Amino acid sequence: MFVDIVDIGSGNIKSIQNWIERVNIPTRIVTNVKDIKSKFMVLPGVGSAGPYMKRLKKGDFDKAILEHVNDGNRILGICLGFQLMGEFSKEDGGVEGIGLIKGSVEKLKNTHTHNGWEKFHLMKEDLGESSFSSELKLTRKRIINGRVFYNHEYGFVLDEECTYNKIISDKYSDYSSLIVKNNVIGMQFHPEKSQETGIDLISMIL
Amino acid sequence: MRVGSTIVLLDGYCYQSYQWKMMRPLGKLQRVIDSLEAYHCDEISIIRPIRINDSEESFKKDIEKIKKINCMTPLSFGGGLRDFKNIDLLHDLPIERLIFSSAFINKDFKLTEYARNLFGQQAIQCLLPFTIEDNLIKIFLSNEDKFIPIEDMDLAAINENANEIILYDTKNESASNQFDEQIINKLNIDNEKLIISGGIGHLNIKKVKRKNIASVLIDNKVLHKEYSIKGYKNG
Repeated sequence: MFVDIVDIGSGNIKSIQNWIERVNIPTRIVTNVKDIKSKFMVLPGVGSAGPYMKRLKKGDFDKAILEHVNDGNRILGICLGFQLMGEFSKEDGGVEGIGLIKGSVEKLKNTHTHNGWEKFHLMKEDLGESSFSSELKLTRKRIINGRVFYNHEYGFVLDEECTYNKIISDKYSDYSSLIVKNNVIGMQFHPEKSQETGIDLISMIL
Repeated sequence: MRVGSTIVLLDGYCYQSYQWKMMRPLGKLQRVIDSLEAYHCDEISIIRPIRINDSEESFKKDIEKIKKINCMTPLSFGGGLRDFKNIDLLHDLPIERLIFSSAFINKDFKLTEYARNLFGQQAIQCLLPFTIEDNLIKIFLSNEDKFIPIEDMDLAAINENANEIILYDTKNESASNQFDEQIINKLNIDNEKLIISGGIGHLNIKKVKRKNIASVLIDNKVLHKEYSIKGYKNG
């Protein structure tokens, strides 16, 4: 198995690559839709919604992502990559998303930004037979107790029943931290920069 | 409040910097980062202490070192981000946030806007290296190698364009508990946007925790006392 990482010229691709390769799974940086070959794709997320979506569309990645998911393959969206898997983002004057998850993205209420660490607790049982399939059985862990790192000014407001939806914290209870919808996973935090918890997560997902 | 660390990087090697004047070698970047990560440091800011004579060659040398970093701790990077070409070189790096200093001080918001389009508004940090003398705050403008009065700067525009602002006490850098907290009250900026650095010690942290500061960055020192991050967190 290998993981395809979408590269449309935004930041921190290298961090995603380092994160996945820490559990000894090879990665491929994909800059052209023709090169998508893996059953597991990562849509990274350091950037600004407008220019990011523009570049996704320019490379036909929006269509390729839909096709990838409709074919039953898995996708993981991180931070902005996660937000743009929704229907609409209010960032940059309004941007239409890919529409894999029903929900929209809005400016965080009562604060200008959310940068920092939050406690994170996850029980694999709660996810049912979802996208956390652990096909490779990289870990036997069934519970993750740790912390994850956030760096965002906008938050995802979910508008449908999903397999799993976890809020960020009591303070940011309107916004999703982790969503699992069949073969689609979205993470508002940066697992690739969440130290041990990030390793636990990718081991459980793959 | 986050507890992070600064790393001073120049020509591919890390240094302990004293008052932004003297440098003591600390070693290789990856080794320093590994040590900080092992102690659960919340974030790391890699800063190039550049001056007027910064060269493209030196910048590229440091970029090559950063490109090779393998770490799972949030990283920001700055020092020498002066034109679009510099920003273009950053896309393939394992960093999430960018630190601008001269661009903010010189009101070059075209450059920060360009970076915002690539990295997002949440990634833009402003570094204000300061000194306080006779109650006057002066900010170091690295591309001209001089301190300028804070009144010459457009703080409102900085507040609007930067996600967070690093206040770096150059006079007290590397000292213990000497960060000059006067500056926090003197600037009209939300405390939750402020990161403080330069001479941070346990006593500073105890005091600023009550002020709702976003983060403190502890100087990276050769004696490695800074690595007991837990001590700072529970301080």
